[in-house]
Amino acid sequence: MATLDQKSPNVLLQSLCCRITGKSEAEVAHQFQYAVRVIGSNYAPTIERDEFLVSEKIKKELLKQRREADAALFSELHRKLQTQSVLKHRWSVLYLLLSLSEDPRKPSSRVGNYGALFAQALPRDAHSTPFYCTRPQSLALGYSERGAALSASVGTSGISSLGVYTLNGPTPTPQSLLPPQSAAGGGQSLGSRLAWTLPVSCSPSTLSIDCLNVSETALVRDILYVFQGIDGKFIKMSGPDNCYKIDSKVVLCKSLRDTSSRLAELGWLHNKVRKYTDARSLDRAFGLVGQSFCASLHQELKEYYRLLSVLHSQLQVEDDQGMNVCTEGSLTLRRLLVWMYDPKVRLKTLAALVDFCQGRKGGELASAVHSYGKTGDPQMRALVHHILSLVSHPILNFLYRWIYDGELEDTYHEFFVASDPNVKTDRLWHDKYSLRKSMIPTFITMDQARKVLLIGKSINFLHQVCHDRTPPGKITAASKSADTPKDAAELLSDLEGAFQEKIDAAYFDTSKYLLDVLNRNYLLLEHLQAMRRYLLLGQGDFIRHLMDLLKPELARPATTLYQHNLTGILETAVRATNAQFDNAEILKRLDVRLLEVSPGDTGWDVFSLDYHVDGPIATVFTRECMGHYLRVFNFLWRAKRMEYTLTDIWKGQMCNAKLLKTMPELSGVLHQCHILASEMVHFIHQMQYYITFEVLECSWDELWNKVQQAQDLDHIIAAHDVFLDTIISRCLLDSNSRSLLNQLRAIFDQIIEFQSAQDSLYRSALEELTLRLQYEEKKRQRDEEGQWAVTEEQEAEEKRRIQEFQDTIPKMCSQLRILTHFYQSIVQQFLVLLMTSSDESLRFLSFRLDFNEHYRAREPRLRASLGANRGRRLSNI
Amino acid sequence: MASAANTNLNAVRETMDVLLEISRLLNTGLDMESLSICVRLCEQGINPEALSAVIKELRKASESLKASENCTN
Repeated sequence: MATLDQKSPNVLLQSLCCRITGKSEAEVAHQFQYAVRVIGSNYAPTIERDEFLVSEKIKKELLKQRREADAALFSELHRKLQTQSVLKHRWSVLYLLLSLSEDPRKPSSRVGNYGALFAQALPRDAHSTPFYCTRPQSLALGYSERGAALSASVGTSGISSLGVYTLNGPTPTPQSLLPPQSAAGGGQSLGSRLAWTLPVSCSPSTLSIDCLNVSETALVRDILYVFQGIDGKFIKMSGPDNCYKIDSKVVLCKSLRDTSSRLAELGWLHNKVRKYTDARSLDRAFGLVGQSFCASLHQELKEYYRLLSVLHSQLQVEDDQGMNVCTEGSLTLRRLLVWMYDPKVRLKTLAALVDFCQGRKGGELASAVHSYGKTGDPQMRALVHHILSLVSHPILNFLYRWIYDGELEDTYHEFFVASDPNVKTDRLWHDKYSLRKSMIPTFITMDQARKVLLIGKSINFLHQVCHDRTPPGKITAASKSADTPKDAAELLSDLEGAFQEKIDAAYFDTSKYLLDVLNRNYLLLEHLQAMRRYLLLGQGDFIRHLMDLLKPELARPATTLYQHNLTGILETAVRATNAQFDNAEILKRLDVRLLEVSPGDTGWDVFSLDYHVDGPIATVFTRECMGHYLRVFNFLWRAKRMEYTLTDIWKGQMCNAKLLKTMPELSGVLHQCHILASEMVHFIHQMQYYITFEVLECSWDELWNKVQQAQDLDHIIAAHDVFLDTIISRCLLDSNSRSLLNQLRAIFDQIIEFQSAQDSLYRSALEELTLRLQYEEKKRQRDEEGQWAVTEEQEAEEKRRIQEFQDTIPKMCSQLRILTHFYQSIVQQFLVLLMTSSDESLRFLSFRLDFNEHYRAREPRLRASLGANRGRRLSNI
Repeated sequence: MASAANTNLNAVRETMDVLLEISRLLNTGLDMESLSICVRLCEQGINPEALSAVIKELRKASESLKASENCTN
């Protein structure tokens, strides 16, 4: 033992044989031959050359035998061994010792062990040949490596088929070792022995597939591979049928075939799920929701793999224990069926989910998963809910960040709030944020989604447009956001209660804060009122004074007007009336605007007031709104002008009536003038009443109520839009009432014409009057001087002049008559249109205009339409 | 060289002692000589699985022979 010398293995082997059997060299020839054959055939070890594993195994063995002290001792020795570098193949020595080790507790009757070998289905027959069955590992492997000489002596030319195994029976050599115990009963026991002949450590690839009979354990092993989606020896995935098929060359009894088909389904399901997760994990644009879905699928698959590894280790344990295993714990196909039932259900659910969720991402995916949770099966529901909580966790994160911070970081477009980056700040409220309807998960209602959108929009509005930088924490008490999927699960379970509360609380607080800021810092309500006062002619004294001042200016042609002149007049008007007490902020914005000049326009046609809006106010008073306001202002201004004109006319009439009493020939004309004037006055009065009270005041009242009660900015904007729409339609400014408006304009024009006609009449009348008075004066004077009062020529001249004057009177008369007639016809047409309009208040206006049926008498159409309408209305009541 | 050989010798002897201890712990039933032969065989690259199988076989064979001898005797 000086050195581990280089004796050849054969020699060593022979000496070993002698040593163990205790016989001389000659007698152990057979054993020696046998030993050589075994060693030669089984050259490469099939287990891992891991020293650590082996030592662990040894320790485990010792611990199993309750010899902890010995285990510690072994560790010591092993360590010592490791420090010495004498041995090169430590692991093989250790393995050898392990495999030779024996449990001192076990009975050492080796003969009895043979019987236990065949405990499966054999009678305890001492005649059965043990050696054959204990030979599988040595014979089955590497048969091709065996030398020809050996094989010649063996008799079995190869283990190409276990069938040959059976046919040839036990090889002669082992038989020679046991002379008396022949394999007499070997023939019958072959079938059952075959159940054991499956080599423990062979991998599926080395056995050929031309086996005619496959044992159940082989199938079990195969099935365990199929569970993971790997093709087994006998059961392979068949592409065109997309299922696992048992190889047709394999002969199996029907029950085994059916059972394995049933079990193979698990492999198919597993493949489906795996394919999805693998494909999706490569997809970069899948988004957070999709990734959490894949993660949850992975989790489930991990559980599944854990189960599979347990099964594998069970199989391994059986193999390790080799001969001594009992049948109760072994793995059969039926046991597998039972154990895999629950996993099968789970995998089915997962596969169904995967199918359903193909091609979806973001909120859609969450909706899909949620819809799968509506099932009666409690296990499936639990599984789907678990997945749903994981999947919805990113969505809830998005949501909380949006409603508490106003931030939207959504690179994959998964959230249901979309932001348009091209929109600038002035349109932020209206255009920048919108709802992506497809991404709204089904467990969030439309109302909640809208509120969520509004909350985030308000916060962004505050930050960017109102320049309000209070941290969102101050606005709402931000509750603990969904940091973990568990929170998401809790939230999902109580969607009606806790979630709604959160959203509502955030909504109320944020909107209230926004309105506070707008009213406090930006005086939204004040501006609204200012619009009413200035653009809608609410501030009566100011408007009147303005008109007084502007009258001479605006009578000029439009091209001669200068803006700064008009602005100066505006300032004067402001300072002279109650408007001066208004907020400086408001007065700052008031301005004059000159519209486009068309040829022939006077100042009246181009003048307009203007009100500048910017910043947050511009969100409510958008450009369209301002346009509407200006149109309404135009209309109201014109109506006011008519009123003004008629006032002038009336003033003139009153003043001149007395004066012109002395000219009786004018009385007819004057009388006509008076009548026409009063008609016009009545008309305009009614129109003004209608506009001021029915249209403006009522709508304003509604608007003000709504604004006071508004809970968020959207409400205010909506109410304001409604207000403007009502006004426009009632003031005949919308497209439906174009004909009415034209009529009205025509009436206004008539009034102006009348004014000019009357002016010229008065002018000439007054001129005549002055001349006559002069004449009288001269006469008197001359009388006083003692001369003749009038000479004949003077008298003749005077008479001529008076005659001339009187000749013009009929012309004036007829002119007036034409005017009157024209005016009345227009008014009648107007009334007819009013009657047939759809708006009720307009119909009432027509009543008021024609309260004494003055026009009805003249206009047969009116008679008919009025009567018909009245009749219709009565019948409706 | 002699000292080197000596130390080598000592090391070898120590190793064998340790292995014998282990084998005794594990109750393998190998005596010193068999153990040394086995170690030599393993060092030469023999598959330990096969070797253990052979040893088990030989033991069983000898046992059964003894048993049959006893019976006949």
